[in-house]
Amino acid sequence: MKKRIIIIALALVVVFTLSACQTTDVVGNVAKSSFEALAKAIPEKIVFDEVNNGWALESPTGERFVWGKDFSAEGKPDLMLEFDARPFLTAGLDPSKLPADMYIYENESDKLKIYTELGNTTFKYKGEPTPIEAFNNIVENHRAVVGYHEKLDHYGVALGNGNMFEWAKDLATNDKDIVFVLNPQPFIDAGVDPTKVDGWVFAKVEIMDEKGKPIEVDKLLKPFNIR
Amino acid sequence: MKTETYKIIGMTCAACAKAAERAVRKLDGVIEANVNYATEKLNVQYDAERLSSEAIKAAIDKAGYKAEEELQSKEVNIPIEGMTCAACAKAIERTVGKLEGVESAVVNFATEKAVVKYDPKQVRLSEIKQAISKAGYKALEIDNANKVDEDKKRKEKEIKTLLVKFIVASVFTVPLLYVAMGAMFWWLRFPLPSWIDMMQYPLNFAYAQIFLVIPVIIAGYRFYTVGFKAIWRRSPNMDSLIAIGTAAAVLYSLYSTYMISIGNFGYVEDLYFETAGVIIALILLGKYLEAVSKGKTSEAIKKLMGLAPKTAIVIQDGKEIEIPIEEVEVGDIILVKPGEKIPVDGEVVEGHTSVDESMLTGESIPVEKNAGDRVIGASINKNGSIKFKATKVGSDTALAQIIKLVEEAQGSKAPIAQMADIVSGYFVPIVFVIAVVAALAWFLSGESTVFSLTIFISVLVIACPCALGLATPTAIMVGTGKGAENGILIKGGEALETTHKINTIVFDKTGTITEGKPEVTDIVTTNIIDRDTLLRLAASAEKGSEHPLGEAIVRGAEKEGLETVKVDRFSAIPGHGIEVSIEGKQMLLGNKKLMIDRGIGLQALEAESDRLASEGKTPMYIAVNNELAGIIAVADVVKESSAKAIEKLHKMGIEVAMITGDNRRTAEAIAKQVGIDRVLAEVLPQDKASEVKKLQSEGKKVAMVGDGINDAPALAQADIGIAIGSGTDVAMESADIVLMRSDLMDVPTAIQLSKSTIRNIKQNLFWAFAYNTAGIPLAAGLLHLFGGPLLNPVFAAAAMSLSSVSVLTNALRLKRFKPYK
Repeated sequence: MKKRIIIIALALVVVFTLSACQTTDVVGNVAKSSFEALAKAIPEKIVFDEVNNGWALESPTGERFVWGKDFSAEGKPDLMLEFDARPFLTAGLDPSKLPADMYIYENESDKLKIYTELGNTTFKYKGEPTPIEAFNNIVENHRAVVGYHEKLDHYGVALGNGNMFEWAKDLATNDKDIVFVLNPQPFIDAGVDPTKVDGWVFAKVEIMDEKGKPIEVDKLLKPFNIR
Repeated sequence: MKTETYKIIGMTCAACAKAAERAVRKLDGVIEANVNYATEKLNVQYDAERLSSEAIKAAIDKAGYKAEEELQSKEVNIPIEGMTCAACAKAIERTVGKLEGVESAVVNFATEKAVVKYDPKQVRLSEIKQAISKAGYKALEIDNANKVDEDKKRKEKEIKTLLVKFIVASVFTVPLLYVAMGAMFWWLRFPLPSWIDMMQYPLNFAYAQIFLVIPVIIAGYRFYTVGFKAIWRRSPNMDSLIAIGTAAAVLYSLYSTYMISIGNFGYVEDLYFETAGVIIALILLGKYLEAVSKGKTSEAIKKLMGLAPKTAIVIQDGKEIEIPIEEVEVGDIILVKPGEKIPVDGEVVEGHTSVDESMLTGESIPVEKNAGDRVIGASINKNGSIKFKATKVGSDTALAQIIKLVEEAQGSKAPIAQMADIVSGYFVPIVFVIAVVAALAWFLSGESTVFSLTIFISVLVIACPCALGLATPTAIMVGTGKGAENGILIKGGEALETTHKINTIVFDKTGTITEGKPEVTDIVTTNIIDRDTLLRLAASAEKGSEHPLGEAIVRGAEKEGLETVKVDRFSAIPGHGIEVSIEGKQMLLGNKKLMIDRGIGLQALEAESDRLASEGKTPMYIAVNNELAGIIAVADVVKESSAKAIEKLHKMGIEVAMITGDNRRTAEAIAKQVGIDRVLAEVLPQDKASEVKKLQSEGKKVAMVGDGINDAPALAQADIGIAIGSGTDVAMESADIVLMRSDLMDVPTAIQLSKSTIRNIKQNLFWAFAYNTAGIPLAAGLLHLFGGPLLNPVFAAAAMSLSSVSVLTNALRLKRFKPYK
């Protein structure tokens, strides 16, 4: 009996130790490594965006995912999606009807921006800041926004309100290396016919709601095979 | 030839019982070996010259179980006076240990007590005490309170251990289930800490489950140690199925955990730790309930054992000395005061009282006891002080015999159990093959590994043969126990089973249908002798006769104050009568056939004889010097319950016959009185068995009910022999069922009890088979084949546990059996 109690106690210690250890956060870890693999696969598509004080990953058709260098910077988005507004305007978008707290329509450039503020965390860097380190800081400090999408074998960063940027865990096997995911509802409310947004796919996607209930929701998707 | 009983420890299912039985049967010198899973006992008959007890134990040991000799031995705690140092203790240990029959003797100097384990068949307690005295110490009164009922303790410990294991398993399984399944029951809104969120932290999610399942596996470690050992020995049992099923679930889950740890998060859906946890917890619950219920099935025997008083007051040198019941010797004069229990069997030598024997016979009315009457140990002395001489002590008492009889019956197997035994023996390997084949078939058909694994686990878990193994013995235990409670001792499973098939019952007349104490009712004489002389001579001739009719004549003469005379010559003519010589006269007393055989004319009294016979009286012809002198008619009183019992039997669809040596007219008159269908009259004692045989040759299943020595062959010949009343030892020995009371209503009760027990066994077997025959295809995915659901292994475990519990619960329903009154 004594032996068994010792075994139980040891097992508990091991499990607790492992559980408390960050190495057990395999989603976060693989998210970092896969994002690094993505960044290394398309180094020319990742540039520092001075205006937004972050790095931007650009798709072959110009959509951008921006992540901040330091979330404590005033007036700069922590995370941002930027894409061409014209297909939405053609599909009936009245930009003034988009929620102002998250959506920006830039008339001059015909760009739509969806941004989010996650907090005022000051990121630490070992040397010169790099896009990968910046991303790793996001995973470590704002782990909740990073997730795994099992059906597509994708990792994703959630900007909130159903908008996401996703990338493949394995670029070699996945035909959708990156995906821009938009919640169509604000656009629909702003007059967009989601089926008529050129270049975007209007589709049903299964997700878990906040209670963990699996639900199917409408999304506007723009996937890319970048390799 | 030697017969021994061993307690088998470590069996968990009927397959274990079968494996242990096989192991013993293989031994050279074994004639018969039966393992009863319910009683956990092995009865083995073997040639002691070719085989030793050690070899039997070794074979059981090799089969993976432990055999303990059924404790003929007793353990006593003897307080010792006079020890002064530890060396004294050693000296006593040595002295007592040397005695033949003493298994162990441990003397504790500090507590001044000796714990002695001994075989009472080889050595008496008084001898042990004498040895202690001889060694120079004083053995005091043994401490009854400290007597160890090892079996009871072991059972209680087993139940307690199982409960603790189940609690441990549940405490960890409930949160395990919560963690593992919570996300799937989103509508219940189970809050889970974010650090074990299935999608965000899948590895933590898996680790949390590992953490929770480890204690559950430890609680159920026995399934693995026993189960895998059994596989190794190529005799897989129920534990093997549980071990393989849950180990497969755990190993696959560990593999999934590894896959998660290297980034394949999809494997988070392939964790089955909770399946293993729930299966173990449910099986432990089933095992616990099974142990509790099994204990209840043997309550009857425990009740019987508890009847015996612990001490007796023995009169020695005119003094009353209270001694432990174990120390009472045959011949001791014992004093029993009102309200006390009679300690052993004996014969009243002084005093008058009434004794409540209901605990042994079921008879509620106290029985009057006077000097010369027999008293039975464990019965209660109601209202007077008596002194009696002990005639039977220890294992010879009626109570000890009853306990032995009931124990043997409970340990025996009914023929109906054979099928279950055969099936159980092959069940586990077959189930394993089915599980592998089903899983492979699904896998080859294109289903996933997880799907195939689910099939594999479900089949293994649902098909445990526990229920099958418990179906028959538990019902027999409760049935025979219930019988014993009501004064119906059924000698074995076979008797119990055959009784329900009985369609014809043959009752002996005298002492069975009638009270067996006939009285003289009519005396008819011819002109050669007067009434009193006839009665006096007849009584003289029958003096010393043990025949009830003869006794009636003697009593009749005594009543009339007639003095008997000495008989010069006496010869019995079995089944016909007697021939004597008195006062120079040759006398013949007997039935019509005897007179005809001797050429004595009966015409003078033929009409009278017919009249008496038609009234149910037995006419005894008396001839003096080869001339008919008269008839003495004797009639027996029909028991109150006879007609009612026969009516009950008719309602049960049973044909009732009566067998008697009486002439046909008398027999038919009695038969008419009680409603007998068929009369077998004028049957000689030696022909009773052949009459029974004749009925059997008509294709009938015959029970014979009788009480006398002369009934013994017929009792043995009948499919079921029922000895009634206190009866003779021979009758009880020959019978399959012994009725402790003389009440004929116990006959339909015994048959009904048999019917109820067999019905119960059939129900049990049906449910046990139904669970398995329905459960296996279901678990193998039959419904899924046609678009239906797949059986979750958790539900398979629940169904499996439920099957054993339901079978036991059903068997316990027999406890509600009510005897006919």
